[in-house]
Amino acid sequence: MSAPSEPGAVLLEADRVSQRFTLPGGAALEALREVSLAIREREVVALVGPSGCGKSTLLRLLTGLIPPTAGRVCYRGVPVDGVLSSAAMVFQSFALLPWLTVRQNVDMGLAARGVAPAQRHHAASRAIDLVGLTGFQGAYPRELSGGMKQRVGFARALAVQPEILFMDEPFGALDALTAENLRAQVVDLWRDPATGVSSLVVVTHSVDEAVYLAGRIAVFGTNPGHVREILDNPLPYPREARSPAFTQMVDRLHAILTDTLLPEAARPEPGVTPKLVPLPRVHVPEVMGLLDSLARQADGSVGVFDLAGRLGVDYDRMTAVVHAAEQLGWVTTPGDEVTLTAAGRAVEAGGATERRAAARARIAEHPLFARVLGMLREGGGAIEDDEVLADLTICFPFTRPLSLLRTVVEWGRYAELLDHDAKGGRLVLTS
Amino acid sequence: MSLPSERRPLRLADLVVLGLVGAAVAAIVSFAAEFRAPYIPAIRIDLAPAALPRYVLYSLIRGVAALLISYLFAFGFGLAAASSRAAERLLLPLLDILQSIPVLGFLPGLVLGLVALFPGRNTGLELAAILMIFTAQAWNLALSFYQSLVTVPEPMREACRLAGWRRWQVFRRLEVPAAMQGLVWNGMLSMAGGWFFLMVNEAFRLGNHDFRLPGVGSYMSVAVERGDRGAMTLAILAMIVMIVAVDRLFWRPLVVWTERFRLDDSSGELPATNWLVELLRRSRWRRRAREIRRLAITTARRVTRPIHMPFRMAPLAGTSVRPAGVAIRKGLVVLLVAGLAAGAAWGSWRLARLMTALAPADWLAILRAAAYTFARVIGALVLGTAWALPAGILIGRSPRLARLCQPVIQIVASFPAPMLFPIVVLGLAAIGMGLGSAAVVLLVLSSQWYILFNVIAAVAGTPPQLTEAVMVFGVRGAQRWRSLYLPAAFPGLVTGWITAAGGAWNGSIVAEYLHAGGALRTTEGLGSLISEATAQANFPLLAGGVALMSVIVVGWNRLVWRRIAHVAQTKYGTTQ
Repeated sequence: MSAPSEPGAVLLEADRVSQRFTLPGGAALEALREVSLAIREREVVALVGPSGCGKSTLLRLLTGLIPPTAGRVCYRGVPVDGVLSSAAMVFQSFALLPWLTVRQNVDMGLAARGVAPAQRHHAASRAIDLVGLTGFQGAYPRELSGGMKQRVGFARALAVQPEILFMDEPFGALDALTAENLRAQVVDLWRDPATGVSSLVVVTHSVDEAVYLAGRIAVFGTNPGHVREILDNPLPYPREARSPAFTQMVDRLHAILTDTLLPEAARPEPGVTPKLVPLPRVHVPEVMGLLDSLARQADGSVGVFDLAGRLGVDYDRMTAVVHAAEQLGWVTTPGDEVTLTAAGRAVEAGGATERRAAARARIAEHPLFARVLGMLREGGGAIEDDEVLADLTICFPFTRPLSLLRTVVEWGRYAELLDHDAKGGRLVLTS
Repeated sequence: MSLPSERRPLRLADLVVLGLVGAAVAAIVSFAAEFRAPYIPAIRIDLAPAALPRYVLYSLIRGVAALLISYLFAFGFGLAAASSRAAERLLLPLLDILQSIPVLGFLPGLVLGLVALFPGRNTGLELAAILMIFTAQAWNLALSFYQSLVTVPEPMREACRLAGWRRWQVFRRLEVPAAMQGLVWNGMLSMAGGWFFLMVNEAFRLGNHDFRLPGVGSYMSVAVERGDRGAMTLAILAMIVMIVAVDRLFWRPLVVWTERFRLDDSSGELPATNWLVELLRRSRWRRRAREIRRLAITTARRVTRPIHMPFRMAPLAGTSVRPAGVAIRKGLVVLLVAGLAAGAAWGSWRLARLMTALAPADWLAILRAAAYTFARVIGALVLGTAWALPAGILIGRSPRLARLCQPVIQIVASFPAPMLFPIVVLGLAAIGMGLGSAAVVLLVLSSQWYILFNVIAAVAGTPPQLTEAVMVFGVRGAQRWRSLYLPAAFPGLVTGWITAAGGAWNGSIVAEYLHAGGALRTTEGLGSLISEATAQANFPLLAGGVALMSVIVVGWNRLVWRRIAHVAQTKYGTTQ
């Protein structure tokens, strides 16, 4: 087994691609805007960022599964038109066909590529051996554990000897132990010249995973999805997750993510009219739980990634909760630290009634709620869902309006400011 | 698992399978002869018991042929409707309307058209009978296939596209397997629904013509007309035997086989087994059949290689693959949808022109008749609910009882109620009940099972934690029914009402106009109006009656049932 040489020529390139989707209601959602990214030979690229930043969409644009709304994707300089035949993909949900055996699933791509039966059998067996599933050829997916299923997913991808292997949160549905085991094997498989895989592109929610796997890490920002920064990770393979160099790289990625996810500019400045920002889709108990966790710290302050790791939460979920707490003025985020503010401390210390009263005061001032409450007052205390949704669509073109409405209703109800009449399909002002 | 040796003696399993195949072939050949027989509108039906098996087989083959056509239709419809949002918006309401048209609405067009198409042969009449059965089978299959097409998980589709599968492969290896369970379950329902009008399909009057085809339905019709009780009993028994046999030999094994096509692979348990599946598995003919099939496919491929060579995938090293013929396929779908739309428009125009022949007095009569039938349908729903709701809850809340009752109820429900109508009517007449009110009982007979089935399913599907919670908090008796069973049954009850109402409207055609005790009995209603219009070949009146019935059914579905169903789903749905 020899280490792959340095990244070489550009294999696949996204050139200022944009992607817009039409939502069921007819409104348009801009998922990606003017994203450029090159995948070179013999490299691993990780795509990280908060949910809804279009990482998975970019993956589908690169494979040719969906055509971009604007811009183009080129394979070795030739525009991609249709599904890239030198690509394979591993899915978070495995996407195995339950009525096919392991061997038949692995054979999926071979049959379609017109490989002769004898060679097909050989290629499938080899792929099954590579992922360590020898002896399971005749099993049906439902008889396998999650980790085994994902091995089948990898075998199916490797069987066609793809030049580029795409992975969409490949370890997301697995438990921590299984994920770690499979992660190490993926690096081995990639470094093994026998697989024929030149480059890997992986979408992940885990910072450690990105640093462990990737030579380059593209950090995405939201509203709309775009590449904020690309971090080079020159650590030699195989990587040792406890080495100081590895920890350092994790910290650097943390810093970039913090900059992306908790930008300094987003913090409300006194005296300035706050900008209209969407409240992240988080629940009341999550934010209260954050405040409780922070209060237990000696100085009411902790690194956001430490906290996420300690609580076993995805970093992007964590930052969403921190974001919401910050918008309500209960925490501040100097660097990647989260610190309880005086207001936050007061809320945390209070009982259920005080918490609710404090929340009510803060939420009434939040620009988004101020706007919705204003609409409600103008509408004589009640307003149709559709009208609110239309307004949210205009204000926040990069957010799904329905999920934003649900958040507004949940927090509005908690603060006893507004209520939702499910039967009538309208929001009402709580008197 | 050891490899079976190449040479081994015939097993009993092989002999049984061979026997079944032989019987099927013989039956089909004999039926094919009937197809080519010279055209005799009303053949003489032999009421001798010895003739009955042949009649039963003929009816069965018609039902199976109709089912095959229904499956083809379902595939075509589902693919077209799932192809684009525009197609979906056009085709789904169209299906709704087609579903509501009673079979007599199709009868004159099919019979007159097809008989004219094959002069001098029985083919036209046979095809008409098969297509009439088809009109009772196709729609739920089509809807089921469409629904599973749009719910196939997106990553699975992506995996297939990345694997380079062509459209045909995706259809055969992803879409059909994913839909398999729904297709089989709905096939069972369709088959049962197809028997409902068996007597009408095989023996009917159109104007001054009497049409009769050999089959168990016409056997029963003739027996009823002559008042031959022995023959009636025999026909009913034969029908029961056929339904049980089809259920045991065909549907049960198929249901077991489709277990493997479950999309959620959460459960680790292996599929249930069935004796026939086991028999087929053990038989070596199965393996033989597979070998022969493989040989046929490879030969066909070799022969057609020059033809499909240009459509082959790009080689592995190529830049990208574009599935061949996307534009052609899109065009075909557009053409198909446009054709259907044009057909629907032309049909409506013809219908409208036909109905201009109706005088205002005729319309008044149709509306009056509709009011009568409407009252009967509502009465039947009330009566049906009165017994089926409590019974369904009692059965559904006990898994053991549900397992015990389900197969029996299924068989009973598959039996075409109209075959019992003459007996029931005579019985009710004996206690002084006229057809006007007896028809309500007949409508209950033709619609009650939908309510019972759906209530059982809904109650059996209640999350066990809910039942446990109710027991832990000591909720008993009437309060338990009020707080748990009735709300849990409600979504199922609504679904049951929707189908039962459709079944009752349809049933009115044979319930308000029937032969019993050697005499024709009728009572005023939309059903008898339609039946009578058919018998007298009064096409404008028939068109008016059928159109009004389908307007009432579709309108009632949209305006009343859909709203109740929405409440049932959002408020009483138990998926939290």
